[in-house]
Amino acid sequence: MVESTDKVERVVREALKIACPDIGAVDGSTHLASELGLDSAQVMDMIMEIEDRLDISIPVATIAEARTLDDLCQSVRRVAGEA
Amino acid sequence: MTLLDKFAPLAELRGALAASGKVPSVATPMDAIHSATEGVIDGRTVLLAGTNNYLGLTFDPECRAAAIKAVDELGTGTTGSRMASGNYAGHRALEREFAEAFGWPAAIVFSTGYQANLGAISALAGQGEFLMVDADSHASIHDACRLSMATTIRFRHNDPENLARRLERLGEEAKKTLVVVESLYSVLGDRAPLTELVEVTRQHGAMIIVDEAHSFGMYGPKGVGICAELGLLDRVDFVVGTFSKSLGGVGGFCVSRHPDFELLRLGSRPYIFTASPPPPVIAAARAALSRLLRGDDLRAQLWKNIGRFNAAVTRLGYRTGSKDPGPVTALVFGERQDAIAHWQGLLDAGIYTNLMVPPATPAGLNIVRISLSAAHTDAQISRMIEAFEQLAARLRPAA
Repeated sequence: MVESTDKVERVVREALKIACPDIGAVDGSTHLASELGLDSAQVMDMIMEIEDRLDISIPVATIAEARTLDDLCQSVRRVAGEA
Repeated sequence: MTLLDKFAPLAELRGALAASGKVPSVATPMDAIHSATEGVIDGRTVLLAGTNNYLGLTFDPECRAAAIKAVDELGTGTTGSRMASGNYAGHRALEREFAEAFGWPAAIVFSTGYQANLGAISALAGQGEFLMVDADSHASIHDACRLSMATTIRFRHNDPENLARRLERLGEEAKKTLVVVESLYSVLGDRAPLTELVEVTRQHGAMIIVDEAHSFGMYGPKGVGICAELGLLDRVDFVVGTFSKSLGGVGGFCVSRHPDFELLRLGSRPYIFTASPPPPVIAAARAALSRLLRGDDLRAQLWKNIGRFNAAVTRLGYRTGSKDPGPVTALVFGERQDAIAHWQGLLDAGIYTNLMVPPATPAGLNIVRISLSAAHTDAQISRMIEAFEQLAARLRPAA
């Protein structure tokens, strides 16, 4: 499966918005836990939303390494077979 | 910046969960325990309604006598692993008794319930294999996944269709997958759609392990659990459970309908690299299992208590975490302060319950959790209901 870079980033941002509705502007280097204050349950919700929208399964270990939005997009691209 | 600085936010949360000058809701100091339903907190005797002591067996005369006899005859500990000097006759007998209870050929006893999940799951699925785990699983399951070398994928809580989609994506690899679910989830007290989850698992050639920590003892023929109640014991592959709820002790077990499961003890690190349970723990567990299997009287009292209590809190307008009343009743509040006020109000009325808040709860819910027991008398249940009636009159019950 191949997803375009733009589509992955758009889906990740949409999922972030769903997991954390009050969120403001976020750039790629924003730290998901320390800057956005996402707890593990919110991150999990976000990942499931991404999985459903892109029809992929993201291993838990893949997510654990993602600290920033850019990291997460990169991980998702890897799972989606693009990167 | 030191290694300890990262704990500061947890200290803040702990502070927020206790009203100033009051008894803390986290790690509440228990000064004494008088019975399965009464203890002493902050110098006052309180009714215990948050101890998971579902059948009230912690003070059962047979269990206590068995533990005392074992200490006298075999000492206080085994000081060795089951793989070394800790493989006593009692440990082996308890495993046979668990297997017989399920009508299955294999059972392994672990030193705690946490280690039962760690030991079974991490050994069953290894490198190049998959763990498909319900997103709301207990920490012991998530930790087991971290210990395993398998690839872990989460599926949406209690959603067989979501599980099916993930298994489909694996294609042929689905046959190398262990699906991990609980029969009754401990925070909200909600039941899994086990029949559907088992069906999806089998359709894809995977195996399934069901954690019955909060249902073993209360459901199904002889109390063996929800898998037995639903007639799934010919399709479920493994059941894991604990001694520290309905059995009133400490320890864990995993049983299987596959005879080769017994070999797992040769490759399960949490089984091998720890001391086996002490003789009094095993002796009490054997007595408790025997009592549980002939415990229809206990289950009748427990379900009567569950019926009365749930009818009352529903009448008072409380929102519960599950549509199916069970041994765990989770009262759900929209605001953390409402949950804290209820927990404190109950303790002030002499009733101990559990307060649970995010991030330890699913969906950011604030919960006061009540666990009922067969040892609760009709009068004690009436006391709990009266306390809730008074609280509902002065606090907001609804979320």
